[in-house]
Formats: sequence, structure tokens, C-alpha cells
Amino acid sequence: MYLPDFDYYAPPDLVEACQLVREFGNSAKILAGGTDLLHKMKHTELAPEAVISLKKLSELKGIRYLPGQGVIIGALTTQNELADSPLLHRKYRSVCEAAHNMANNQIRHIGTVGGNIVNAVPSADLPPILMVLGAKVKLVNIDGERTVPLDEFFLGVHQTIRRDDEILTEIEIPDQKTTGSTSIRFGLRKSGALAVAGAAVAVEMDGETCRSARIVLAAAAPVPMRARAAERLITGQQITPDLLEQAGAAAARESNPRDSIRGSAEYRRDLIRILTRRALHKAITEGHV
Amino acid sequence: MNDGYNVIGKSVGRIDGKVKVTGQAKYTGDLRFPGMLVGKILTSPYAHARILSIDTSEAEKLPGVKAVITHKDVPSLKYGISPARWDENIFCIEKVLFVGDKIAAVAAVDEETVYKALKLIKVEYEVLPAVLDPLKAMDEDTPWLHAEYPHNINTEIHQDFGNVEKAFAESFHVRTDRFVGQRAYQSPIEPHSAISMWDGDKLTVYSSTQSPHYFQYYIARQFGLPMGNVRVLKTYIGGGFGGKLEPTGLEFAGAALAKITGRPVRMFYDRHEMFAHNRGRHRQYMELKTGVDKDGKILGVYANFLMDGGAYTSLGVASAYYAGALLTIPYDFANYRFDMYRVYTNLPACGAQRGHGHPQPRFAFESHMDNIAHDLRLDPIELRLRNARKPGTITPNEFKVNSCALEAAVEKARAISNWDEKRNNLPKGRGIGIGLGAFVSGAGYPIYRTNLPHAAAIIKVNEDGSSATLYTGAVDIGQGSDTVLCQMAAEAMGYTFEKMTIVSADTEAAPHDFGAYASRQTLMSGAAVKQAGEDVKKQLLELAAPSLGINVAELDCRDEVIYVKKSPEQQRTFAEVAREFFVKKGPLVGKGSYTPPKLGGKFKGAAVGTSPAYSFAAQVTEVAVDPETGEVNVLEAWDVHDCGKVINPALLHAQVHGAFFMGMGESVWEEVLFDENGKILNANLSDYRVPTALDMPQFHSELVDSYEPNAPWGVKEVGEGATTPTMGSIANAIYHASGVRIKSLPISPEKIWRALKEQREE
Repeated sequence: MYLPDFDYYAPPDLVEACQLVREFGNSAKILAGGTDLLHKMKHTELAPEAVISLKKLSELKGIRYLPGQGVIIGALTTQNELADSPLLHRKYRSVCEAAHNMANNQIRHIGTVGGNIVNAVPSADLPPILMVLGAKVKLVNIDGERTVPLDEFFLGVHQTIRRDDEILTEIEIPDQKTTGSTSIRFGLRKSGALAVAGAAVAVEMDGETCRSARIVLAAAAPVPMRARAAERLITGQQITPDLLEQAGAAAARESNPRDSIRGSAEYRRDLIRILTRRALHKAITEGHV
Repeated sequence: MNDGYNVIGKSVGRIDGKVKVTGQAKYTGDLRFPGMLVGKILTSPYAHARILSIDTSEAEKLPGVKAVITHKDVPSLKYGISPARWDENIFCIEKVLFVGDKIAAVAAVDEETVYKALKLIKVEYEVLPAVLDPLKAMDEDTPWLHAEYPHNINTEIHQDFGNVEKAFAESFHVRTDRFVGQRAYQSPIEPHSAISMWDGDKLTVYSSTQSPHYFQYYIARQFGLPMGNVRVLKTYIGGGFGGKLEPTGLEFAGAALAKITGRPVRMFYDRHEMFAHNRGRHRQYMELKTGVDKDGKILGVYANFLMDGGAYTSLGVASAYYAGALLTIPYDFANYRFDMYRVYTNLPACGAQRGHGHPQPRFAFESHMDNIAHDLRLDPIELRLRNARKPGTITPNEFKVNSCALEAAVEKARAISNWDEKRNNLPKGRGIGIGLGAFVSGAGYPIYRTNLPHAAAIIKVNEDGSSATLYTGAVDIGQGSDTVLCQMAAEAMGYTFEKMTIVSADTEAAPHDFGAYASRQTLMSGAAVKQAGEDVKKQLLELAAPSLGINVAELDCRDEVIYVKKSPEQQRTFAEVAREFFVKKGPLVGKGSYTPPKLGGKFKGAAVGTSPAYSFAAQVTEVAVDPETGEVNVLEAWDVHDCGKVINPALLHAQVHGAFFMGMGESVWEEVLFDENGKILNANLSDYRVPTALDMPQFHSELVDSYEPNAPWGVKEVGEGATTPTMGSIANAIYHASGVRIKSLPISPEKIWRALKEQREE
């Protein structure tokens, strides 16, 4: 395995980076952590003419809080930085946990939040928890920027609404009234295994009543998938164990997993039922964990 | 405890510890020689195809390419590590037999050029129907892989001892179970590599190998060279586990490329190519039938097996025999029948992997034993104790077992795991299980027929006695044999470990040894080393006796001090006498060699499974099984080993930890998967899931007292034996936790989930 030939650019700032991605369009690939891109290039799945590295764009790193708005996560923040962020630990520990439980330490050390989103694979660990927290992503090109809900970002496997000349620069988790959130992944090993299935949930509880709920499933469809029927089932309802079981069953019904070497569709569907129920119970009883 | 030993029995630090942890150790792939080229092998994309043409012209034109070779450029002599079935060529001539079979090789100035050149070689194939299902390999209408082996039968075994049918007829209870194993791969951390270079007619090969000797033998044979013209050596090895015992193809292709180009050539496999080359564990289909009396005493066993060998023989003849041969070791029964077919399929060839042929049958038998215990309402440990082998016994297939502390090991495992309490009182979803194991301490016969000793050693004491060097053909592949053998040398000489150095696994600089396989080195290489050390000591004492004015029989040497046994204050130092020896008599050199006694019966295949000594193990595992998802969490495990006298306890326990880790991976996670065209789906460490540190449970490795009369200082093996009980132990714990018996490996969460679902729906 060997990297094919390509031209390499490491622009010093975002403006120059935007110019380059405009210039090359879909013949270039953007390099952040490289844990997916370089792997695909070595396996000849991708052979871009140019690789544009974002490594010099320090403005795309870091996590900060903007009062009245929300938590802003730079796209180049590594997965380990996300897992270890004191700010996120205070506000949404569930995001830290999701980052901590993904991949393995070596990958998390270099893999970025932006990369995990833009790569757009069904089993990705960060999109579900960010989606249930209502996250938005900022896409920048040489002409300007736009902010879109992560919910609307994914179109298919490796397909997103990001245009070839756009760079995903930051993720915003807006201030919100949710009382709890969590994600549970089922992997076939305790570390370094892709999720066979996963469920992320965020709830706004008022006593025993669920005011609102968001549920996003991983590895359940070509894109991270909202389980809307399950959400409807519990919204406005008094939470009981039976209702959570029903919500799990609803999520399983509306999911569309596929057979793979990691698990049959049938098994995945049942895992979705179990994980959805467990995640709801956890978020309802334990908060943002 | 003062057992009278100064060096052995102590956890001295590894002799190679410092260079490894500081990164100074150079593995074969790290070595660089002036003018060295990089070589790679082009492999087949089809599982079964006829080669119509090979066009290397475009590749040859690529700047930087120094040579491109195919079968036309190398000897066409067939080879294989099993002499009974030489069935491989350096490069395929007429047909390719699996995805990954070798077609051609390129040497170029750098890696990038080599990869580009491989893509420029054009091969035309006529794709043939592939045999991918071992259960159909022998069918009448299935195509044959090798014309010489009708119906794809590679090895056929029929052994019958005592009278099994009579035993079944007299049994109180007869039970039949069927089990299936999986294709597993050794996954050593260091990829295979070899650097070949010629000096005139002399070939030198640095290789990541478990046995320089077998490589030397087969390379010499292939190229028609005297063995003395082939030097095979290694630097450091990052694990082998059976997969680096036989020539990999890198040595042959590299030697041919180096000859043509006149430059050193470095060849290597990447992780994907390692999986394709394989030589990992066979998938076995195992039917077991056992008859017991009303107390659970085993009267007879019938093992009816089939194994998927893949496209070539590799070490598979031995694997097939081992599968049945070692079933007779842990439990004592008189009547035994074993039938086995090893069939060819268009998949990568399988060979020896830690426990060689035995771990899957052991998994089957240990699961089968628990089923029998369940039928008889007996505690699984009780059933095992009633059948456990005793010392000084002979198995129905004529293996003589001298030392055996299996009963004590089982009792100790029972005690330290708190079995009696846990077996009946664990909460729902938790379970505890036991498995027993055993293994040879070296094979009684070498892989090819020869009367060479199995091991030899030389010790040369430095001229002033301030250090000594052990020369041995034994191979440290990470298990620590260099350390253990230096301990043994120092003990035998009356010297200290810290002043030992070692030159090992170099066919030119060190004397012959068959290498690291069959868990043989501590006993066999150790026996040669002990003899060499005693030879040094004897020469020293003979020289010292007159100066101390005493008969040599009254002298001894320990810890670098030669002293009069009855009055230890009368002494001279080792160094002083060694120097005097050199001045008066020349180099102080000790020699030793080891050949095992003649072992085994006279029936066909009687040699496989013979050994001077057998290790025994009892392993208890506690697991939690998620009743909804089927997820298995291995919580804690206890291994009690009977491995004779221990030379280095820390290294021994590390072996047991590693063996459990591997066995655990094969129990729950590991399986090489193929698509419908015979292409590997998970030739990487992401989807071929060896366990991680997080998956490893709290682990307790303990010993029982044991002394093996057939071995130096009473030693036995540990490296492979400790893998044998694990799959059975975990399978039985999962059954105890979940109530479902999964009869195929790996016992994946999905299989447990499905079985639980079916149980609920019944």
C-alpha cells in the first residue's frame, strides 16, 4: 500500500484555503486528521489531484462558549480534545463521553471533529450526539459563509450538502432547555471497533413528563437517522418503562440497517431497540452523561 | 525458599529488554544495506484460475525497476514445510489456487516504484470454479485443486485404539455433539520480512523467522546449494505464533531477485498480505461421541473431524494429526477412535497456530465434557477430576506421560477462583466455566526426516573469564528464550546471568537447533545448553583441583566461585581459573547437544504428539453476558499451570497472560471472513478483532509443584499449552451465564443473541 501521487498544499490562513478549494473543486481533498482520507488513498479508493491540509489554520481549533449563543467547537478540534474539554464536561458531558468511546486513543489523538462529520459514514460516533443537541455547522467559502443544522447536513454515505468549495469550520451547540442527553454505541470490542449500532438521545424533562425528545440512530441507515416515530411516541408523555420499550421498538421499526460483516440487519435492528430504550432511560434519569 | 539454585527460578530482567524498550532493537525490516533494493510479490486476484499469459514488459520499462521475475526465472521444484506433501511453487506456473497466490515479483530502487511496477504487470486469467466450502470439497462433482490429490483430500487419518464400539455398548450414557471452529490468524505485531544478498555463490538471508534451520534447509534445497552456502539469521522478532515457521515466499523471491540484480533485496508483507499468506489456524468441523459409566468415567471417545486446509499443505499434515492425537492427554480413557480429513479449498493455506491443531478440538471436548456433566447432574470440575490423567501413565495412542500434576492444578483453580461458591450463586447473566489443557514440550520428531540432534549449544568463556557467550540455534521470537537459556547456561557453569551474552538463531555463527515451535526450546535447547554449561564447569574444576590440592569430585562452582564443597572457604574465582585455562590450554569452550529418546508407537502417524514431557493446565473464567445484546464481558480468569520447574517466573506468567489473551480473542472475536469469491473481507486489525488491553480481564496465573524427570532441571513447556484450555473455559462460562450452548467459534454476541431469541421463542 502506497499513497498515490498528489500535490500538497498547506495554506497559512482560511482565505487562502478557501481560494485553493475553489480552484481545485472536486479534484482536491481536504486533509484534517487524515485518519479516513489517507487510509482511503492508500487503498486506492481515492486519488485526488491535490490534498489541501488545514493543519496551519489554528483558528479552527479549540472550544469556547459564547454567552447567549452556545458552545462553539472548532472543526479541527481533535476527538481527544473534545473528550477532555472541561467546558464540555460541565455543559454536555455526553459529547465528551461519545468522543471518548470512539475509535482508539491513537485515532482520537489525531482525528478531528470536523473530519468525523464531513466523512459522512453511517457508523460515525459524533454526529448522533451533536444532532440530538441541535448542533449547527458553519460552512465557509471564498464568497461567504452559511450555517446549517447538522440534521440537514447528511445526504448519503460519503455525501453531504457541503459544496466542493466549502470548508466546515465550526460546530455550534446552541443553548437549550434539554435536561439530559447521552449516546450508547455497540461495538464488537471495547476499543477500536466501529459501531454495529448506536443511539443518541436528548430529552427535555418536566418532572415525569417528557416535553421534547430527539433521537438519532447510528449505523441504522445510510445517514445518521432521526427516529421521529419514537420521538413522537414519548413527546408530551408521562415516562414509564413500558413507554420506553415502545419507543425502542418504534425506533427499530423505522430504522433501515443493512447486513455487513459486523452484524446482520436483523441483529442491528434489535440492538437499536435495546440501545434506544437504554439511552432514553439514561438521559432521563442521569442528565447529560 | 532456597532450592539450591543461584540463577534459575528467578525473574531476571530480559537480556533484550533495554534495547527493545529504548527502540534500539533493529528488526529485519529496519535493516539497511548499501545498494539495497525493495522487492514485492504480485499476487492473484482470483481464488482459482488458469494463468494464460504474464506480460512483464511494461513493468520492466519503468525507471527504477531492476528486475521482474516469474516462474520462468526460478526453480520449478515444489516445496513445502511438510515433506510428505510438497505442493507449492515459488511462483504459480499453470494455475493460481487462492486470492493471494504468488505470480511474480519486482525489485526496484524504492517502495513507491515497486508498487507502481506491480500494477504494470499484465496477467491474463481464465477464471475457474472455486472450491470455497470445505464440506463440499470431497464431493464427486467438485473440481480438484491439485491433480495429485484426488477429491481434494490432502490428509486422511483413521486411527483406532482399543474397542470404541464395545465401550459405547457398555456405557451408561453416550453423547454426541458437533462443533465448528473458525479460521483464525496469528496476527504477530511484526510483519514478515526478509533481506537476501549474495556474495558469489553464498546466500545470506536475514529473516523474521521462527526457524533459521528449516529456512536454510528449504532455501538450499530450492536453489541446489549446499546448506553451508546458505546463511539464515535473524535480529529481533516481533512474534510468530506458528506463522513464521515455514518459508514465506519472501526468501525465495528475494534470493532470486538479489541474484539477478547483484544487490541486497528487502522483501516484506504488509498487514493485508500477511492475512493472505496466512498459515493460521484451520477451521475444523468436529463431531465428538463419548461414552461414560454411571459415575462419569469415560469409557470411549470417537472423534470424527474435518479441517479446511486451504490451497496448500503448509504444516497441515501435522495439524491434522495433532487435532486428534492430543485429545487423549488430559483425560484418561482406554478406547479411542479418530477419523480426520484435511481438504483443500481455494482459500489461503492454514498451518500451525499456537497450540497447533489442538485448541479447537480442546474447545469442542471441553464443551462436550460440560454437556456430559450436565446430563449426569455432576459439577463440571467433579467430572474432570474423575477422569484427570495421572502421572506415570500411557495414553491409548501410546504417549508416555511422566510428570502430571493435573489434579492438583484443577483443585487449585477451583480454590483460587472460589468456584464452589460462584458456580451456584452468581447473579443472572454471570457465569463461571472451566477448561483443561495440555501440550507437548517439544515434538519427539523433527518436521523432516533426519537424524540431526534436536538442539545444540556452545559456550565460549572470554579469555579473562569476565564474560561468557552462549551460541545457540534457538530462536527468541519475543517469548524470552535468549534470557532463559542464558540463565540455564549460567546455572550450569556456576556463573552469573549478568555476565552472559548470547548469539542465537544464526546458522553460521551458532550451532544447529530446529527453532521456536512445538514449545520445545526450554526443554530441548535447554538440555543442550545445560550440557554445554556443565562441560565448561567440568573443565574448570579439573584445572582448579590440583591448585587447591583436592580431588575434582570434591569441588563445585557457583556464582563465579570455585570452592571445596566440604570447606567452602577454600576457593578460587571463576575468572582467575578461566584465565589460567586459556593460558595453558587455549579457548575454554563447552559443548552440548540434545536428542530426545525414541518415543511413541508404530501405527501410522504415531510420531505426532510424542514428546519427552507434557504440560497441563486448568483454567477458570468468569464472564458476564448481556441477556439482551449477547455482549460478552470476560471479567476474571484463573490459570493454574503444571509446567515443571520454572526458570523465569516473570516470563512464564507473561506467556500465560499472552496465551489467554490469544485464546480469548479466538473465543469471542477473531475470525477471518471471505466473500463469495474467496476474497478476505477483514484483512486488517480493525475488522479482524484481536482483543485490546481494555478487553483483557483481571488475570491470575498460578503454578503447581511439578518436576519432569525427562528434562533439564525438570522443566516443561508453557507457551502453547496455556492457549489450549481458554476457548473451552470461556465457552463453558458463557453457557453458565446465558443458558445457551454455542457450538461454533467465535462465540460472538450475535450468535448468543440469536440463540437466546430462539430459546425464548421455543
